[in-house]
Amino acid sequence: MIQSLALSFVFAIPSFVLGILVSPAWGLAFFCVVLALRQLKSLRYFSRLENWTRDPSAQDVPEGAGAWDEVFARLHRHEKEMRAAIARRDVELQQVAAAGQAIVDGIVTLDTDNRIVWCNIAAGNQLGLDLRSDRGQPIANLVRQPAFVEYLAVGDYSRPLRLSSVRDDGQVLSIHILPYAGGDRLVQVRDVTQSERLDQMRRDFVANVSHELRTPLTVLSGFLETVRELPLAAAERDRYLAMMAEQSGRMQSIVQDLLTLSTLESSPPPPGTELVHVPDLLGRLQRDAEALSGGRHEISLAADAVDIFGAESELASAFGNLISNAVRYTPAGGKIDIAWQRRGSSAEFSVTDNGIGIDARHIPRLTERFYRADLGRSRETGGTGLGLAIVKHALSRHQAKLDVFSAPGSGSRFSALFPATRLTAESSCAKPM
Amino acid sequence: MNESVHLSKQFDEDLTGLRTHVLEMGGLVEAQARAAIHAYASGDTAAVKDIVENDYRVNGFEKIIDEETIHVVAKRQPTASDLRLVMGITKIVTDLERIGDEAKKIAKGARRVHEHGQLTLPRATDVRHVADEAIAMLHQALDSFARLDVVKAAEVIHADTKVDTEFKALVRQLITYMMEDPRTITTAIDIVWICRSVERIGDHAKNVAEHVIYIAEGRDIRHAGKEA
Repeated sequence: MIQSLALSFVFAIPSFVLGILVSPAWGLAFFCVVLALRQLKSLRYFSRLENWTRDPSAQDVPEGAGAWDEVFARLHRHEKEMRAAIARRDVELQQVAAAGQAIVDGIVTLDTDNRIVWCNIAAGNQLGLDLRSDRGQPIANLVRQPAFVEYLAVGDYSRPLRLSSVRDDGQVLSIHILPYAGGDRLVQVRDVTQSERLDQMRRDFVANVSHELRTPLTVLSGFLETVRELPLAAAERDRYLAMMAEQSGRMQSIVQDLLTLSTLESSPPPPGTELVHVPDLLGRLQRDAEALSGGRHEISLAADAVDIFGAESELASAFGNLISNAVRYTPAGGKIDIAWQRRGSSAEFSVTDNGIGIDARHIPRLTERFYRADLGRSRETGGTGLGLAIVKHALSRHQAKLDVFSAPGSGSRFSALFPATRLTAESSCAKPM
Repeated sequence: MNESVHLSKQFDEDLTGLRTHVLEMGGLVEAQARAAIHAYASGDTAAVKDIVENDYRVNGFEKIIDEETIHVVAKRQPTASDLRLVMGITKIVTDLERIGDEAKKIAKGARRVHEHGQLTLPRATDVRHVADEAIAMLHQALDSFARLDVVKAAEVIHADTKVDTEFKALVRQLITYMMEDPRTITTAIDIVWICRSVERIGDHAKNVAEHVIYIAEGRDIRHAGKEA
C-alpha cells in the first residue's frame, strides 16, 4: 500500500518538473495520464481476482505485480493451507468412521429429532438399515417394533432394551440409547443371543435336575409313609417295596448320568495311544441291545475292521446310548442297523432305525440336558434325559460330531464321523463279525 | 414471504408426523401378527388375551390417523405428490387395520386349536412357514413406504403369488387329512381359517405396496392383472 503511494509520488516529481518547465497544464495532464494508466492496471488485477473468486483453486491464484503481487502471494499461501487442513480433516474423519465400522456392536447416531445421521454396517444388518437411502429418516420409521418405539419415546435410557430381532429368527438384541453432545443420541445394538441362550440353559438345568429328582422322591416318600403307618398284607407290602426300589433305581441312574457328564467335562482328554477294538465293542453292545429288545426288533451289525484310539468306557457309553435309544423309540417289529464303516480316511459309526422319528424342530436341541422331544414317552421308557448330552460330550472328546437325520414316522439315523487321526489303518483283531 | 415459509414448514411437519404414525401403527400390527402366529405354532395360548386386547390400540391408531388426514386436507389443501401421500395413507391405514383384525382371528383360532389339544395333524408347521412369508411381505411393504422405494414395493406385489400358491397347497393337504380321518375335521377347519387369515395378511400387504407405488409415482396399478 505504502509502496503504491510512494510510486505515485515518484511520478508526481516529473509532472511537477514538466509543469514548471513547459506549462502547469501539461504537468497536470501528464500526471493524470500516469494515474489513469495505473488505475487501469489495478482494474485488470481486480478483474483477475474477481474471476478467481468465482471458482477458487490453489493452482491458479492470479499473479500480479507490485502491491498486488504480495496480496496474491498471501492468498495463495492461505488457500494451500486451508486445502491441506481440509485433507487432514478428511483423513481423520475417515479414520473415525472406519473405527466405527470396526466395532462389533451396531452403532447408530441420531439427531435431536431421532433422525438417522450415521450407522455402521453391523447396525445396518441387525436393524435392516441402509445408510444410502435412510440418512435423515426418523429411526422409528424403520425400526418399528412397538417395544422399541416406546423405549425411544419414553426417554428413560438408564437401562438397555431387550428386543427379539424380526430379521433373524431367535436373535436377541440388547439396545441401549446413550445421549451425547447436546441432544444427539447414540444407539448401541448388541447381539446377546448367545448369552441369553446360556442363561436360559443354566436356569433350565437347575430347574430340571430338581424336578427330575423330586418326582421319584415324592413317590418314594409317599410309599414309605404308607408302608410305615398302615398294616399291610405281605404281598401288598412287597409290591410297594418293589415300586420304591424302582424309583430309587431311577434316581440312581439320573445321579449316575450326572456324574458321568461331570466326569466327561472335567477329566483329561481321552488317551491317543490306547486302542479300542470297535468291532468287538459293537458286538457286545449288539448283544446288550438284543437283551433290552427282548426279541421285538431285528438288530443287525455291519462293522469294518477299523479301531479307534481313545477311551473305551466313553465310547461304550456313547454308542450304547445311541443303540438303546433306537431300541426304545422303535415299535416292536422294527429294524435297527448298527454300522461301523470306512469313509475315505475317516470312519463313521451309525445307528439307523425305522421307528417313530423326531420332528425337525426338536433336532437342534436334542443334546441339551433334560430336553425331551416327547415328555411322556421318554419317562415311560426309562430315559433320564441325559443320554444324548453324554453321547455328544463323549464323541466330541474324540473329535467326532453327532449328526442326526430324522423325519417323523420314517425313523432316525444318528451318526458320528471319526477323523483319521483317531483311527488305525486296520483292526488289530481281524475276527470277522 | 416469511409467513409462507413458516406455513410450508409446518405443513412438512404435519406430513412427517402422519407418516410416522402410519409406520408406528404398521409396527404394532406386524408385532400382533407375529405374536399370533407364535401363539399358534408354539401352543402358548396365554398370549392370545394380550393380542385380542391390543387390537383396540390398532383401532385407536386408525381413528387418530384418519382425523389427522382430514385436518391436513382441510387446513392445507395439499396438491400433487402431497395429495397422493395423504390419500395413499388413508388407504394404507384401512389395510393395516384389517391385518390387525386377521391377527386377532389367528390368535383366537390358535386358542381353539390348542384347547382341542389336537395339533398332531402332520405338516401343521407349514402354516408357520407361509405366515412368516406373509409377515415378511408386510415388513417389506412398510419399509418401502418409509423409503418410498418402488422397487421393493414391486417385489412385495410379486411375492403375493407365492403365498397364494402355498395357501392353496395347505388347504389341499388339510382336505386329505380330513378325508382320511374325520376326527380331525374340527381342528383342520380351524387351521384352514388360520391359513385363510394368513393369506389375507399377504393380500393386504400387497395392497399397501400398491398404495406405495401410487404415492411415489402417481401410477394406479390396482387390478392391473399381469401388467402389474
